[in-house]
Formats: sequence, C-alpha cells, structure tokens
Amino acid sequence: MEIYLDNIATTKIDSLVLKAMMPYFDNLYGNASSIHKQGIKASAAIEKARAIIANKINAEPDEIYFNSGGTEGNNFVISGLVKNHTKSKKHFIISNIEHPSVFEVAKYYEADGIDVTYISVNKDGIINPDDIKKAIKKETIFVSVMHVNNEIGTIQPIYEIGKICKEKGVFFHSDICQSFTKTEINVKKQNIDFATLNSHKIHGPKGVGAIYIRKGINIPPVFYGGGQENSLRPGTYNTPGIVGFGKAVEISNENDIVNISNLRDYFIEKIFNSIDDVLLNGINGNNRVCNNINLIFKNVEGKKIFTELNKQNIFISTGSACSSTILKPSRIIKALGHVDKIAHGAIRIGISKWTTKEELDIVIENLIEIVKKERSKIN
Amino acid sequence: MDSLKANEILDLKGVPCPQNSARTLLKLTGMDNGEILEVIVDDGEPIENVPSSLEDEGYKIIKRIQTSDSQWHLFVKVE
Repeated sequence: MEIYLDNIATTKIDSLVLKAMMPYFDNLYGNASSIHKQGIKASAAIEKARAIIANKINAEPDEIYFNSGGTEGNNFVISGLVKNHTKSKKHFIISNIEHPSVFEVAKYYEADGIDVTYISVNKDGIINPDDIKKAIKKETIFVSVMHVNNEIGTIQPIYEIGKICKEKGVFFHSDICQSFTKTEINVKKQNIDFATLNSHKIHGPKGVGAIYIRKGINIPPVFYGGGQENSLRPGTYNTPGIVGFGKAVEISNENDIVNISNLRDYFIEKIFNSIDDVLLNGINGNNRVCNNINLIFKNVEGKKIFTELNKQNIFISTGSACSSTILKPSRIIKALGHVDKIAHGAIRIGISKWTTKEELDIVIENLIEIVKKERSKIN
Repeated sequence: MDSLKANEILDLKGVPCPQNSARTLLKLTGMDNGEILEVIVDDGEPIENVPSSLEDEGYKIIKRIQTSDSQWHLFVKVE
C-alpha cells in the first residue's frame, strides 16, 4: 500500500479528466490551428476549456493564454514586463517567499541592473500590504506576490495588495498555481493584472498551464514564429492537455475543499496532541490553503523523517519539490525567522481529495515512532 | 442590421481561423432553437471559412452582410 501525500508537488490525474482528453490523442488528433473539420473540433474543445478556466477566475475567455505551466507563466510575465519598461522604469517588487520561477527570474534581472525589492513576511509567512505600499516608487513596473505559498500554504492578502497596486498605478502579478480552485480568485475584484495558473496541481495533466492577462495590457512574446494565442505564445496547441485542464477545473468543487480542510485540521490537531515540541510553519486556520501541512519536529531532521516514511511507501516532501535534492534549508522556512538547524526539520504534507482519515492515521502512527526513535538517539 | 434581430452578437474581429469557427460553434451550442446569432468576422479567410464550417455542422446562415471592406456580419439560426 502506498500513501501519496505529496499533492502540493503534483496530483494524480482524475479519471474524468483522462477520459475527456483521450479523444484528442486518438480520433480527434488534428492540429487545432488547421481549418479542416478535425482542426475546428479541436479548436472548439480548446475554446470550451478557455471559457471554463476564465469563468473560474471571473476573467474573459480572451484574457486566458495557454502555455506549458507555472514556470513558463511566471517567467513570461516578469520578462515581458521588464522588457517593455526598462527605458523608463527599472524597479519591481516581489515577496521573499516567491516560487523559484519568480525568485530566480528576479535574481537574474537584478544581476542585469534592474532594481528589485524583496518584501519580507512575518513569522506566519504573511505579507503586510503596507510594506508593499512603502516600497512602490515612481520607477516601479510591477508587484508580484503569490496567492498561496507552495511550501507553507499561507494565503496572502492579495485583495489589499491589488488595491494598492491599482491606486499606485503599477501592475500586479500573482502566481495562483497553489490557490487555483482551492480558494476564491476574482481577478476583477482583486485587481489582478496578470495571473499564472497550471493544471497538474488540480488533478489535471502535466505540461499545461495558462496565464491571465487583463485586457488592454500588452507585453511581448517570449517565443516567435506562429499565430497561436494571439501570437503571444506560438506553438502547436497541446489539445489533450488543454482539454484536460478545462475538465479538471470544471469538476473542482467546494465539497472537496471542505473535506480536505477538515482532514488537514484533523491531522494537525492529532499531531499536536500526540507529539511534543512540534511547530506548524505558516498560519493555522482560514488563511492557510486547504491541502497544506508543514511541520517541524524539534531535534529531528526533516530528511530523516522523509527517508523513514519513504521506506514505508508514504510519500511526503522536505522543502519544496523543486529543491528536494539540494540539502540546503528551505529559503521559505528561513524567511519565517528560523535558523538553519530548525529549518532543516521541515516536512511538507499535501492532502488531496482522495486522502482518507485512515491514511492520515497510519502516517501519524509512523511519525510518532520516527520522532520518538530519533529523539532517543540524542538523549 | 435591417429587420433581422439577433438574440446574441459574437464579435470575432481579429480572431483567426479556425478559432473563429470554433468559438461560433461553441456559442451556438448554448443557444435555443429558433434563436439567431449575429457573428462579426473579418474579410478574407474568415468569411470564406466560418460560414462553410457552420454549415458543415448543420447550421443555417440566413443572411450575410458586408459592412465594410474588412468586415462581415453573419446571421445564423439555431434549428
């Protein structure tokens, strides 16, 4: 028996999603840019997916541009905005807990002479919108703050940040890969100008995502050579992937979110009642995304817990998935104010709609044993 | 547009083929029998391709009007 609790890194595709995708691998394999009947059918399926995704974030369908996923989306928006403005404006703002596909891009442009402000978070991993307000200057091009952090699950006050950006006349980009379908996103109400979305975090296929760009804003493409996606993201359409992405959004529902939240709270409460000296990274309660649990067991290495659970076919994560092969303490956990030794203890557990209470009980039993054994080695 | 009154209008100016046909078909599937959709398409390839692809799917173009050198209005009835 395997227990998969790495659902923040990626999720299992839903069978309904897979079923919706299959015809576009098989009978309807025509290029969605071709004008024959096959092409039109493929194109219609893409447009249906576009409408579903747009509706979920209160955008218009022609504000959605399909691409390969979150990393491409974040790179695209930031690079495009910087390229468009370097003559007159040379500054942008991000939080210090952004995903590497924002953080590393910022570092790249900083080395290239662009001024970047990194906004710190508090001990719960939350940004103070006033810090953003104070950091905006006349050279500021945009602010980029992720809606939900991929390691600690904190939900940022993007409504307040969007409002500030609108008042100050700077663009607001949000990476919503971890929050999409899990917490409310309304690009109009939240004044989001650009958003990065992906599919594989929500039981859709890998290798497909989208960006939302508010109508009327122009940024240059990264690729050239085709007319797809209004020439902003040329390349042959990934029709099965896009159809699957749309289906994954269509079947997402509030009941799943409530159930996942309940499981998260059950797990956290039971761990705190069973094991001493445990820290929950990120905030507890409503400002934490439903599927995220990030814990530190004092005096126990996160990597050790990971290894022992892995032996039992229980799959979790230490740090973020992208950096789990690098034995450095998580930048995000350190941003909460933890020293390296403590930060090394972090483990991340990601729940999905298929996680059961019985599975969580097995994980808790294992954690109790592992922590007891490891701590006994010190005493 | 004369006496023909459309229930809904779909503006597809600047939308390339076959996305324009695809979006029209998608719109039509959400409309009721007897309703009329007015579709605005560009001259050139769009006006050549969109009507035929709609007819291929069984829809009837009841009127087409060229309103400028670059623009056409199609009236499609859902039956």
